[in-house]
Amino acid sequence: MDDLLEQAVHGLTLGSLYAMVAAGLALMFGVVRLINFAHGEFYMLGGYAFWYAYRELGLPYPVAGLAATGVLSAFGWAYERTVIRTILPRTWHVQLIATLATSITLTNGAILVFGTQPKEVPTRLSSTILEIGGLRIAAQRLVVLIAALLIFAGLEWFVTRSKLGRAMRAMSQNREACAVVGVDVQQIALVTFAISAALAAGAAVLVSPLFNIFPDVGALLTLKAFAAVITGGFGYVKGAIAASFLIGLAESLAAGYVSYAYKDAIAFIVMVLVLLVRPQGLFGRRIGI
Amino acid sequence: MTRIGQHVVVVALMLGLVEGGSVPGADAQSPPPIKVGFASAMTGPSAITGEGVKWAAQMLADEYNAKGGIMGRKIEIYFGDNGGTPGEAVSAVRKLADVDKVDVIVGQTHSGACLGALPVVKELGVPMVIEACSNPKIREQIGKSVNEWAFRVNPDDVMLANQFAKHMAKTAKSVSIFAQNDDFGRGAAAAYDAAFKKTGIKLVSTEFFDRGQADYRPVLTRVKRANPEAVLLVMLASEGSVFMRQYRELGLNQKLFARGSMATLEFLHQVRDAPGIGDGLVEATYWTAALDPEWEKRWQERWKVPVRVHGSLAAIAFRYAVAPAIEQAIKKTGRADRKSIRDALETVDSPDTPVGRVKFDDTHQAFINMLLVEISGGQLKILERIPIQP
Repeated sequence: MDDLLEQAVHGLTLGSLYAMVAAGLALMFGVVRLINFAHGEFYMLGGYAFWYAYRELGLPYPVAGLAATGVLSAFGWAYERTVIRTILPRTWHVQLIATLATSITLTNGAILVFGTQPKEVPTRLSSTILEIGGLRIAAQRLVVLIAALLIFAGLEWFVTRSKLGRAMRAMSQNREACAVVGVDVQQIALVTFAISAALAAGAAVLVSPLFNIFPDVGALLTLKAFAAVITGGFGYVKGAIAASFLIGLAESLAAGYVSYAYKDAIAFIVMVLVLLVRPQGLFGRRIGI
Repeated sequence: MTRIGQHVVVVALMLGLVEGGSVPGADAQSPPPIKVGFASAMTGPSAITGEGVKWAAQMLADEYNAKGGIMGRKIEIYFGDNGGTPGEAVSAVRKLADVDKVDVIVGQTHSGACLGALPVVKELGVPMVIEACSNPKIREQIGKSVNEWAFRVNPDDVMLANQFAKHMAKTAKSVSIFAQNDDFGRGAAAAYDAAFKKTGIKLVSTEFFDRGQADYRPVLTRVKRANPEAVLLVMLASEGSVFMRQYRELGLNQKLFARGSMATLEFLHQVRDAPGIGDGLVEATYWTAALDPEWEKRWQERWKVPVRVHGSLAAIAFRYAVAPAIEQAIKKTGRADRKSIRDALETVDSPDTPVGRVKFDDTHQAFINMLLVEISGGQLKILERIPIQP
């Protein structure tokens, strides 16, 4: 029973990571209708920004975390202004190549700037081991779970209650109609990218103390987040979040009880199985956030 | 000066024949450089190894060129990125051989890349000295009768496993293996499986992981459930630091053995906030920083990071196999082309090196020493130096 609980806690931690990255991807697709293959690199850059603020500048964990999230939010903003705005009117082929090229450029840029040696950012919480029943977990894992829930609650509030969030929802339903009634669609796209990048950076801030940061860390993460977005129903944020937790749990249980070597295939097996039964995804009725 | 004479001077000046006394004829007379290619993973999840190899190559080139090169021939270095994979290794070798026109290659660091490169060096006829690929299959694919262009300095995992298993058997009767999911990890796992059978160790489980993993808790939970007396890790320092943190997080206390680059300064640098985290781990290896303190010091001064294993192994291969072969080739034939270097490699004998004797047998395998290195009190300690017999 302890064993199962341990795998479940681990699965939820992984699910939180996937969910924060996938939520950003789903937001981008829902609002701008664009698949951003460089999204995993937002996570990678967020991790490096956090490492720099925490390890190199010696800022306290919450301050370093907020600083990293802010920096990445600005990066997401700049990315929309430079790359996305240029390719948005073009065909999906151009968008695919441009975002892939950005991903490769950012990865190799990170090798040049930060080197190849992984960066570790252990915190006091990641080295504090809690014993709950027969379960031993780092306090940081609890921080990840609690913070992820708070972030998702905040995102839900923002999207449903705030003026900007409502404009994002409207844009996800009909971009042209929004433009006609005077919604600044470019501004909304900017905000969407800033929030998505901040979500990825938030994930990096929470999870980096447990794992490490290296230039390639975003590649597999992007693919798994895509699997979650597709499984949840393309462009549906809540669906992507739910699917991320499902994938995290499935991955953890499969790695713990079946085979660790093939755990990375689990996300895609879950995706294929869900699509066989529900081609529109678990919660996908329509595209919309 | 006559009008014709003035024209001659002007043309000579334009061609740079007179100005500054720099006469191209002098350059033409200086011997051409020797082109050495270094192949390793410069990108991808294994890029840390290639970075180390690149830094080592730059130090070597500077060191040799400062002394006038080898037999008066300067060393020019080129790099091939094999990404740590067989497919990219083919491109890396072709680029080095066909585009850069190198005379000899040092590399490929990763076993999979090495297996991919072997047929290509044979096809192109370029000598390659392997510095750190330990998959046992490589030995079947090099040598006078199979592939005369490839030579290996480092021992393979069959050679290491037989000795290391005897050491493990002193403290553990059951072992779980946790290895990288590539040719290095799978080759080592198979070699230790066979060696354990000979020494009476029970192999409890074998698990593989893809490089670049973030979380090892699921597999550690499996190890906890299987409860072996020891765990053999086949992994590099870049993964090992995260692994060890999670190992301690779960409260596991199995004895740890390793192959890869765990008992290294790279690893200790990664876990410098918790230096004792790897205490008790014993690694079977063939290079450690203490073997060459001067090299370690110069590395630290130049690159500001601890000396890296794979770069240092490339340096060993260059200094004690490639450089003597180039020297011999020039002395014997007056040339340092691919064929002359290959022929010279077969007769190279460097008896007194930090890693033992570097001399290739008919299978083009050298037999350097094996080391058992332990992490103790956050420091590295050489436990044993074991000569490997052919």
